[in-house]
Amino acid sequence: MHLAVSLDIAVTDSQDILDFGQISAFVRDLEAAGVDMVVISDAADAPSTSPFEATTLLAALATVTEKIGLVASASTLAHQPYNLARRFASLDIISHGRIGWNATLRQNPREAANFSRPEGFSDDDFRRRAEEFINIVRLLWVSWEHDALLFDKVSGRFHDPDKMHLIDFTGEFFSVRGPLNVARSPQGVPVLVMSGLSETELDFVSRRADAVLLDKREPDAKATSDEIKRRAHEAGRNPATMKVLAVADARPEFDGRKLKELCLSSGCDGIALNVEARTAALKDFIERLLPDLERQGFAKARSGKTLRDRLGLSEDRRP
Amino acid sequence: MTARQMKLGLFLWATGHHIAAWRHPDAHVTAGIDIDHYIALARTAEAAKFDMVFCEDAAGLREANVNIASQTSRSIGFEPISLLSALAAQTERIGLVSTASTSYNEPYGLARMFASLDNLSGGRAGWNLVTSASPIEAANFGATGLRPHADRYARAREFATVITGLWHRKPAGHDGESFSVRDPLDIPPSPQGAPVMVQAGASNDGKDLAARTADVVFSAAQTFEEAKAFYDDLKGRLAAYGRQPDDVKIMPGVAPIVAATKGEAQAKYDALQELIPDDVGVALLSSYLSISDLWRYPIDGPLPELPESEGMKSRQALVIEQARRDGLSIRELARYFAGARGHWRIVGTAGEIADELQARFEGGAADGFNVMPSWFPGELDAFATLVVPELQRRGLFRKDYEGRTLREHLGLKRPV
Repeated sequence: MHLAVSLDIAVTDSQDILDFGQISAFVRDLEAAGVDMVVISDAADAPSTSPFEATTLLAALATVTEKIGLVASASTLAHQPYNLARRFASLDIISHGRIGWNATLRQNPREAANFSRPEGFSDDDFRRRAEEFINIVRLLWVSWEHDALLFDKVSGRFHDPDKMHLIDFTGEFFSVRGPLNVARSPQGVPVLVMSGLSETELDFVSRRADAVLLDKREPDAKATSDEIKRRAHEAGRNPATMKVLAVADARPEFDGRKLKELCLSSGCDGIALNVEARTAALKDFIERLLPDLERQGFAKARSGKTLRDRLGLSEDRRP
Repeated sequence: MTARQMKLGLFLWATGHHIAAWRHPDAHVTAGIDIDHYIALARTAEAAKFDMVFCEDAAGLREANVNIASQTSRSIGFEPISLLSALAAQTERIGLVSTASTSYNEPYGLARMFASLDNLSGGRAGWNLVTSASPIEAANFGATGLRPHADRYARAREFATVITGLWHRKPAGHDGESFSVRDPLDIPPSPQGAPVMVQAGASNDGKDLAARTADVVFSAAQTFEEAKAFYDDLKGRLAAYGRQPDDVKIMPGVAPIVAATKGEAQAKYDALQELIPDDVGVALLSSYLSISDLWRYPIDGPLPELPESEGMKSRQALVIEQARRDGLSIRELARYFAGARGHWRIVGTAGEIADELQARFEGGAADGFNVMPSWFPGELDAFATLVVPELQRRGLFRKDYEGRTLREHLGLKRPV
């Protein structure tokens, strides 16, 4: 059973903003316990305060950790696909292959108003735009072949021009020529995590996602997980190469046994636990809940250096 | 009261600033995929008490011709805000300045990124504002073509107004020509109040924007007279915006090649020049001249007459001026330009280089310099171990950091 910890660093009141030392100490504790990945999000629906923007925080965390997967949420409204693809490919190189992008398919109502879209998007437009965005990012990530770089000082060939590809994408919302100006990343493609799904997106998610975070309010996690994997199979994927995690809040009344039951009954591959960005909550998680989870068979040390290896995902070679 | 001292930035650029740097036998050729390389460079610069490291940026390839591009190391590298965020955790004192374009970002998003970098680094962040001039970049952002110079600057001015308003906690709400923002910034005030604002535009629009908003200005100048004219012009524009001459630090780029003797330094330079393929040199020159068919002209003939650029206006003028002044052929100009992209080059001993820097600094043509090592790590090591101690011995450069933040290093007031 995989274990992810989701840390939302946005706080909706002004108390208890974590500093980098507290966050990095927490993540190193998770790493020592064998947690597969930490998911950082930094934007609440309501007016909130975050000490850090998630992707910059991830870059800094990448240099002070060695094994744990590092996933940041980044919105398709707050970024351009070319910029976001560069950032995550860079992070994957900086972390030696431990990066994932949590692409949420749900609109944050505050974002359009702050990103020069005062008219906003309908849910349907937002969804189609997000899908196009994610497809472009993925195409950019594979625009350099693995062995494109030659570094041949004597002949004067730095790279093989035949192994660098334009993407020439023209869609409904974006047009991007490419290629990316960042080399192919250690994982081939950073892990693509999706969250905030609705029924309409299940097809897209089952084709594209490496890992899925189910909404904690999901009434029937088992049915949704089964449906995603069924559709993945229909789309020609091996459903084992995609992981579905049930999401739960790390509450004081939860213990390892209850979470194991939740995981098994949901038919999911593991659990993603939301931890509140408060020092007391971090302390309770590390001191009480995490050892209990380890006893129940979560968070085992796993072989492999990259996040893909840890999660048992193959490299994404889909067209 | 200590005497006025120069500011030093280290201009990072993967394998080095010379176009053929990556081919140098000792150059770190995998720089573009090696974070440890950058951590080592930043720590070297920090040990030498540099004010800051600086990253330029482009959101796309730098060269459209794939055959030319593949003979350079410039098509891959780290996205600089990610790179500097990683360096923030691995350094303690040195400033971290990244370029980001006003053309392909939104002010709310960039305000968050730089405030976050400032928080991560304990107050060492800076933003180099640029308006992107490359059609290659434009094609990655849905644009059918590059927007005219004046439009890019109008957007940049509005961008600067909005982002500084967000950083300075001005009352929320902006509804303008290019941007609208409803809420205050959701990142708490960073240690510097606002990240340091850097600019490099040298056109009339660029200088006015810098006079209004910049804390640091990077510039390019070959001769003392050019440097002095730019310095006086920019400082002269400050009063119109209620600012004092010392509120803005002007730091021209300098590409030194240093060795124990002048002959040794010259030999190092000549060896690097030999590594430049002609087609690469001409292509690089063409891009800065915003001309696509320079290769049509005889390579050993003079530079043809050129129309005024919609790209980098000031750099084009600088290159043309140099070609005419020194009577250079296209090949000679391309070779010269490939060494430091039009920046000032000094080849000599530590004493000779210190003399030249001192003359521009004390002659009122610079507040400091943005140092552009020809290749990494060797030319940075040489500058740090040979030139920096010489500047310190002369009292021209600090022996230790005076403060913690980049604003403190630069002697800038905290924004109100």
